[in-house]
Amino acid sequence: MREDVSDMDLMRYLDGEMPPEERRRFEEALARSTELQRDLALFRSLKEEVRALELPGAAPSGSVWDRVSAHLFRPAGWAFLAVGLLAWLAYGIHVFTTAPIDPWRRLAVAAVAIGVLLLFASVIRDRMREWATDPYKHVRR
Amino acid sequence: MQQELERELIGKCRDGDARFYEPLVRAYEPAGLRLALAMMGNLEDAQDALQEAFVKAYDAMPRFEPGRPFGPWFFQILRNQCRDMLRTRKARFRTESLDEGLDGRPADPESGPERRRQRNAAREAVWRGLERIGEEHREVLVLKDLQGFRYTEIARILEIPEGTVASRLYHARQALHDALVELGVEGV
Repeated sequence: MREDVSDMDLMRYLDGEMPPEERRRFEEALARSTELQRDLALFRSLKEEVRALELPGAAPSGSVWDRVSAHLFRPAGWAFLAVGLLAWLAYGIHVFTTAPIDPWRRLAVAAVAIGVLLLFASVIRDRMREWATDPYKHVRR
Repeated sequence: MQQELERELIGKCRDGDARFYEPLVRAYEPAGLRLALAMMGNLEDAQDALQEAFVKAYDAMPRFEPGRPFGPWFFQILRNQCRDMLRTRKARFRTESLDEGLDGRPADPESGPERRRQRNAAREAVWRGLERIGEEHREVLVLKDLQGFRYTEIARILEIPEGTVASRLYHARQALHDALVELGVEGV
């Protein structure tokens, strides 16, 4: 019979989470109750089964640090790239607007540049719309 | 890892120097992988979860309370990452790849083919049992029996009162027992 021993006490005893005095009282109850002995043996056996799963301590393919560091340092790379591109763009605009060239030629070059930018922006926008509704975006390819 | 060294590394990371994150990642990777493996059931998803959790932990470093141990805080992030991945159906608990990964390890020269077969069968049955009991039960069993955490640490990782840990463990073990009986495993 399981007198004065709750299921939680049984777990705390099994997992070594009981203070010595409580543990002593539990062991007295354990000596009296065959049902408690049977339950303890059952849960101890289950605990051992889970512990015996022998999970590997490290991935066979090596550390995840390479993948983690790629994520951590990537934003810095993008930031440098963006700053560099913006600087070149500003310099290009400055040279283009201050260079002594024919206004019609200037207008033609500007039209080509604006056209390329608009097309690029529309492609990006379409891609983003597709991505938002793509039901297979979580499928690994 | 020594507490003082860990605190120093965390301080550097909080200042934004990611180079000092590498020793922390390498120190917590083995235990993190075990937890992720047991929650995801396969190596590929476990590594993805682990990687994401390390990145999230780094990003959240400014909110980390200095002086507290990194481990339980990180395992909390990792556990949430695993649960998110399981919920969003990017992954589901499956054991095939894990078994392959484990079988790829060098065999124990002491054990004969029959013993190995028995051990593999027992391991397979426990994995199947863990698969059946659901993630809430699985995670508490993993934290206690595979990772060996104390109840206080488990409470912190699972964000539950310490008094609830024993009760959750009881129900998890009971559920695993029922699952193994359903699977026809004898002796449990």
